[in-house]
Amino acid sequence: MVYLKWVFWITFWTLVVAIFHYTLPQVDIVRVTDTYEKRIDFGENSIFWANGDVGNDETVVNRDVFFIQTVRTNDRVMVYRNEDTGWGWPPYFKFDTSNLQAEAADNKSTAAAPTWVAIRHYGWRNEFMSIYPNAVGAWAVSGPDAPKGFPWLNAVIIALFLLVVLAIWRLWRRFRQGRIDPMVGGISDSFDAAGDAVSEHRSAISRWLGTWRAKK
Amino acid sequence: MFAMVRLMVIGFFVLTVIYIVLSLYSRSVRKRKLEEWWEEEGKPGDLEDYIDNGLEDYDGSLRRKLILGVYVVPFSVMCIIIYLTNFA
Repeated sequence: MVYLKWVFWITFWTLVVAIFHYTLPQVDIVRVTDTYEKRIDFGENSIFWANGDVGNDETVVNRDVFFIQTVRTNDRVMVYRNEDTGWGWPPYFKFDTSNLQAEAADNKSTAAAPTWVAIRHYGWRNEFMSIYPNAVGAWAVSGPDAPKGFPWLNAVIIALFLLVVLAIWRLWRRFRQGRIDPMVGGISDSFDAAGDAVSEHRSAISRWLGTWRAKK
Repeated sequence: MFAMVRLMVIGFFVLTVIYIVLSLYSRSVRKRKLEEWWEEEGKPGDLEDYIDNGLEDYDGSLRRKLILGVYVVPFSVMCIIIYLTNFA
């Protein structure tokens, strides 16, 4: 039972970290070598692809997707996809896919005369599943060592998330100490207490509803 | 268009649940405080009347209207993100 609990929580928190790592923005300094579009027939990797351009038919099973081919500062290649996230998940509200493709194409450069570009993106590159990180922004930078800046947004989002988790955990602990632990001790006592609590809550709700009616 | 309507409808529903829960919680906190104030003021008059009057004041208060921020804040954040992602 103890092992089961550990396995559950380790799995849970690994998933949480993975979701944040996938969803939160990161910045890479790259050199754009080419931009292109390719027809994609989504299969079992379809969850790792976003939406077609906002306003287009959403029910089609395949479509052309923009890609940005790059070389990173460590000389390894990285390929980004460039898709609208639109009104869906993750909430980047990205509608300017075609504009971003134009900006990326404008910054194309060769190894002989490199132009370095910062690309903000989310997602993972995985060769075994043919998935690509989605570029959300691109801007020219001075060089391969250009500062990326501290990820304030990520820090704030993670801090807020941890605060919510802490609040839920404290609520749950207080609920367990107040309601469940005594229930295990004296069942009849806590039945009365639960009854009182329910009726108290019910009157609170009806009084709150009353505040929406006309004032006397 | 459909995606936007879907986001708005689901968002409105979720925020409404949060709004109602927060309203109930805030009101219960105020009620508990009113009980404490009644004790501190040396138990003036009937406790029920004291609480009813206090809650009526609370219903017209700025503090209660601030709970509408549950709708305002996410919508503002969404507008800011749309601007920063697409136009900045």
